[in-house]
Amino acid sequence: VNTPTSVVVVGASLAGTSTAHELRRLGYQGDLHLVASEPGCNRPPLSKVGLRVGATPDDLALPGGQPDVQEHRVDAVGLDPAGQQVLLADGRTLGYDAVVVATGARARSLAGVGQSGELLLRTARDAERLRARLDGSRTAVVVGAGFLGVEVASACVARGLRVTLVDLEPPLLRLLGPWLAARAHERLRRAGVDVRISPAELVGDPVQAVRLADGSVLHADVVVTCAGDRPETGWLAGTCLNDPRGVLVDERGQTALPSVYAAGDVTRTATAGGTHRRPFWSNAVAQGKATAHGVLHLPAPDRATDDYFWTELLGEPVKVVGELPLVGDPEVLEEQAAGDVLRWPDGDGWSVVAWGLKRPVPRLRALAAG
Amino acid sequence: MKIVVDYDRCEGHGLCEEKAPSVYFLDDAGDLHYAFPDQDVPAEQEAAARAGASVCPVAALRAQ
Repeated sequence: VNTPTSVVVVGASLAGTSTAHELRRLGYQGDLHLVASEPGCNRPPLSKVGLRVGATPDDLALPGGQPDVQEHRVDAVGLDPAGQQVLLADGRTLGYDAVVVATGARARSLAGVGQSGELLLRTARDAERLRARLDGSRTAVVVGAGFLGVEVASACVARGLRVTLVDLEPPLLRLLGPWLAARAHERLRRAGVDVRISPAELVGDPVQAVRLADGSVLHADVVVTCAGDRPETGWLAGTCLNDPRGVLVDERGQTALPSVYAAGDVTRTATAGGTHRRPFWSNAVAQGKATAHGVLHLPAPDRATDDYFWTELLGEPVKVVGELPLVGDPEVLEEQAAGDVLRWPDGDGWSVVAWGLKRPVPRLRALAAG
Repeated sequence: MKIVVDYDRCEGHGLCEEKAPSVYFLDDAGDLHYAFPDQDVPAEQEAAARAGASVCPVAALRAQ
């Protein structure tokens, strides 16, 4: 197996830039191309400072700064695995010894065909558009009560909007499990958020309301869709990697195709219970680094995926180390006025949650180890 | 090389400490203590300092 001398990273996502940084750190000196029509951005601030006051370029800087790459500000529109080349929207092709698929995911839309005015939150532009709409608005309906939906609802509450949060399931139930979801629900209720458990259909063109299962129509100044994300695999059409569930990778980012790797939100990994995605910040970094090892035919690093995750609920930080969702009642490790530290059994170790408290991840990992 | 720390941005994730415990430390309250404030990072710690800064999820650490 030869060490590559030309590597193409497709997507300026956190996973893509992490791969590029790690390749250089590992001593790779060959050609390194980064293909992305838009510059990358660090996404966690978008739903927080991005909706409070607007995110500055400093807020959105990807960690590590600009990697040492040759940039191509254009979309990749195809992959030719047999010819080992990436096809670009401007008609050019880029040959590769190894290619890294890091095209991330896009927000899932609920709008009907041709229905305009749906607000989503995925990119810096989305955040700016949403923030501008929140200015002067008094009511919001947030469709989707996962992490993003709850963060957006929290931002709306902080700005004094009256918020309705709609989902098929109670907020965060599927993600965090019943115990923490009950706490989240109670916090939201006390903050005045009207939680509705129902399917929701966007109404109006442009969108200005949602219709619930009982036929009622909720109008609001702002209607935001936070209904999850979809791996950005469409440009891989014609290859076996174009799978709506994401590109399956091993612990070094290797896909089913030789010399083709993938990292971050576009991927899924195999576990005992099937395959699943981990579209979270820490995992994008860990997978990017592991993928750089794969590209250079080095052994996988110790942590090829990462289970550290954080969110914010009504201003309270929630930090999690370990597998989700959490089943049953937790052991309370620490209790303070501002919050607590909890843990649940998880295989050989524990899943640990710090809620409302600034607990650094090395401490949480130590608690998770037992 | 210096590390510029933006303490207002720091959310106490502690990924820097995990990467470079000789350079970054977070106390029990989640507050960051940086080993080389207002001075150049010693040469033998530069790689660690950069590695720690490169995993900050909120851009609170910048190598300069």
